[in-house]
Amino acid sequence: MICIFYLLFSIFNITMLTPLSWLKEYVDITLPPEELGDKLTEIGLGTEKIEKTKDDTIFEFEITPNRPDLLSILGIAREIAAVEEKKIQFPKFYDLKNVKPQKALPLKMVTDSKINPRFTGIIIDGIRVGDSPQWLKDILTKAGQRPISNIVDITNYVMLELGNPIHAFDYDKIKGKVMRVHQAKGGEKFTSVDGITYHLPKGAVVISDEEKIIDLCGIKGGENTGTYEKTKTIFIRVPVEVPSLIRRTSQSLGLRSEASSIFERGVNAGGTVEALSRTVELILGNAGGEIVSPLYDIKKENFLPWPVNLSLQRLDKILGIEIPKAKVSSILESLNLKVKKVSDDKLRIAIPTYRNDLKIEEDIVEEVARFYGYNNFPKTLPSSQIPTKTVPYFKDYKLEEKVKEFFKAAGFSEIYSYSLVSETDLKDCEVNPDKTLRVDNPVSREFEYLRPSLKINLRKALLENRVNFKDINLFELGKIYLGSSIDNAREPYFLSGISNVKTYYEVKGLIEELFDELGAKNDISKNIQILDEGVFFEIDYDDLIKKIAARKRFVPIPKYPPITEDLTITLKDKDRVGNVIEKIKNQSNLIRKIEVIDRYESNVTFHITYQSDKRNLTREDVEGVREKILKTLK
Amino acid sequence: MEEELIGIKNSAVSLIIDAKNPKELEELKIQFLGRSGRLTLLIKKIPKLPLDKKAPVGRLANEIKNTIEETLETQDRNLRNIKTKTLQEGIDITMPGIKPAIGHLHPLTQVIYDVVDVFKSLGYQAANGPEIETDYYNFEALNIPKDHPARDTQQTFYLDTRSSKVEPGEIILRTQTSAMQARVMEKTKPPIRVIVPGKNFRYEQVDASHGFEFWHCEGFLVDTNVRLTDLFGTIDYVLRKLMGEKIKLKFATTNFPFVEPGVDTYMECTVCKGKGCSFCKYSGWSEIMPAGMIHPNVLKAVGYNPREVSGFAFAIGLSRLVTLRYQMNDLRLLTNPDLRILNQF
Repeated sequence: MICIFYLLFSIFNITMLTPLSWLKEYVDITLPPEELGDKLTEIGLGTEKIEKTKDDTIFEFEITPNRPDLLSILGIAREIAAVEEKKIQFPKFYDLKNVKPQKALPLKMVTDSKINPRFTGIIIDGIRVGDSPQWLKDILTKAGQRPISNIVDITNYVMLELGNPIHAFDYDKIKGKVMRVHQAKGGEKFTSVDGITYHLPKGAVVISDEEKIIDLCGIKGGENTGTYEKTKTIFIRVPVEVPSLIRRTSQSLGLRSEASSIFERGVNAGGTVEALSRTVELILGNAGGEIVSPLYDIKKENFLPWPVNLSLQRLDKILGIEIPKAKVSSILESLNLKVKKVSDDKLRIAIPTYRNDLKIEEDIVEEVARFYGYNNFPKTLPSSQIPTKTVPYFKDYKLEEKVKEFFKAAGFSEIYSYSLVSETDLKDCEVNPDKTLRVDNPVSREFEYLRPSLKINLRKALLENRVNFKDINLFELGKIYLGSSIDNAREPYFLSGISNVKTYYEVKGLIEELFDELGAKNDISKNIQILDEGVFFEIDYDDLIKKIAARKRFVPIPKYPPITEDLTITLKDKDRVGNVIEKIKNQSNLIRKIEVIDRYESNVTFHITYQSDKRNLTREDVEGVREKILKTLK
Repeated sequence: MEEELIGIKNSAVSLIIDAKNPKELEELKIQFLGRSGRLTLLIKKIPKLPLDKKAPVGRLANEIKNTIEETLETQDRNLRNIKTKTLQEGIDITMPGIKPAIGHLHPLTQVIYDVVDVFKSLGYQAANGPEIETDYYNFEALNIPKDHPARDTQQTFYLDTRSSKVEPGEIILRTQTSAMQARVMEKTKPPIRVIVPGKNFRYEQVDASHGFEFWHCEGFLVDTNVRLTDLFGTIDYVLRKLMGEKIKLKFATTNFPFVEPGVDTYMECTVCKGKGCSFCKYSGWSEIMPAGMIHPNVLKAVGYNPREVSGFAFAIGLSRLVTLRYQMNDLRLLTNPDLRILNQF
């Protein structure tokens, strides 16, 4: 089978090129193309493009995965017939039910309904392989397909027309006249009709004759039994395949055909005989030959329409409007869904086999709603109860906003960077890639690892901006991804920033101020680094949230005035300002605040505030404490 | 002694009000409040008063001290104002002001806060969840079993599982914030109204309207008696609040396995005003908010009875909303840290 549908891999949706003239063979269309396109989009047949050509109009439809029936011209015509309230005109089918072949060629079939639920086929002898008639070439070309030969074109044409994939084998090349459907062991070689050799994955459903694999079921036919110029006798097979088996093989080979797309979504299991009849009609008419076998139709079940019940009350409850009973019935009937009234409230609906998407009541509700017209519905707001409990996984955006506004006010601009970074990025930040979370299938080497720090991108951002700006302050609040393997993976929010304007002490003060503002306590000196590009900080935001005091508590204004004094102390070699402050503080509970107001080499001036809640302090009180301080620091 | 104090106050106040410049004020301050100022000297005598007088006189002295200090301050301000007025005459008010160096919040942040606000007014709370997600929450719980063709529309990044106990393919980067539906639902009971703004990942080639990392805001409501008209009304209300009353919207049928019926929402492209441009794939419309009534299988997966409760779910394409709101013609601008872009917001 040759690629027929135009597969748009970039967006992974299947697009169907549909000539208007072809649609008109089955349904009388009165709406102008633009209007028709809008209406079809509203009912779920996304009209991506409408292109006017010399003698036709080509629609480009995007087909959702639940509607394999719309991967056919007739399927699309059915939707249009429902929109236009018209009847479908079916094409000519050869009557296979009453066929009585003059002679019968032998063919044995061994199959298993678990891997091949239905196997319909017939043998035709005495055909002439050649070019297709012009009309056939034209219509296939318009549908985005390259004409090959009459036999191949007809099987493709009928697949496009009815939605059942069909494959024609050269009967003479089937060794032993046997077709055995089975699953591959794995590793077998198979060359497809287009000459490409594949190593089959385990479980791939294939057909073998006495000596070789001749078909990769539901995906591609084999080169060894394809139809070529010299072919005289063909076996035409119209199967039903198991969606998950086709999908697995197609994915593991990275090989997709229009046939596999249909099968993995669910083919019309009740339509194989019709598709075969149509194919026979066209082959006998265009390539000659005669039927030389009975109609084979190997299956375990009958593939009949199935019932789905609809309660009209429930329909109205889900939709929020009352749709008259007659309207409901007429919509469903227009879609060829047979409606039987069970009670005043209940309808039983027979689902044709090509509508695999209709399984439950809600599916029927959608059918009614989309043809009633989504844009004809009134709009209401939910009248139900507003939840009062805090939701699981609650995120406090008010707090986040406060934090971000704080950095904004301090002159920092916010960036959003990619979570995925490269190995080089990691190494630049001295991170071991082997201990970093990694995706197996990156879009490129540039985006392979999950960032373990916001430093990587902030540094790069600062460097990029240096071309245009002198003073740069940037911050980001985002997830980082920690853990050496996914067994111990964590993804905390981090708050990081970089500045080439502010000093270490300014950045430190900024974070201290933020923590004060939030009522959180933490030692943040380890969170600041001096890089070549500037001062960088990072804060574990999730951890910060946990440390925030639930509510600030008011402290009454002191009744008694403070006394302040400045002390200049010469630090000894090992002294750190932080330790000195700690030591000073420990000398008396009259010390309320210690600030550093000046520093010159090892001389640090501390501004000390003394205060008591109980009385006015005297000079003598302060002198006593001061002596203690000086003594400790000696 | 009280009379003496009052005398000092009166004379101090009148002298201060007559002062012509700061220097005179400073002298007056010393004259009354200095170490040997008139008031200071008098106050020093208070301890020698009889016991019953000490307290009332002390209070009076304090009041007078305050009054003098306040008057000094007031007069000082008045004198300086005169000076400011003189200065103002030398100012060129057409000179641009000196702006403080404040930063800028990213447009995505601003849109997210607006989204959170609008939904808050409708009773929704915000939540967030893991980006490193299991196949179960991202797909299976959402009625997308393995081998489901709908998985094709969401090409997935798989995490390297080599050094772990996890089966390959089980841990992914979430492709949709909808992954939070089952997570939230299984931990609570209806009524539920939640939104989940967050980052998603899909294996896609990057272009003006696609990226491998992008932002969505999932939302869902579960309760008794939830109607399709409620979903239409909610979408309409929210998008008009966010994008302006005048926007044009239309609804269409679509299919996502976790909703039935499925709804897609299109907004007239704000970049080209509906004329058609590369951003809206020349259709004049931009897909902005896919939605639908929650599929019974999703409710069943979290142990709810779909005969008793129902709900709707939606996802706002946040990245796209930002670009449409600010008429940015390329999604990649959102991850570009160039301050020439950021400073505009």
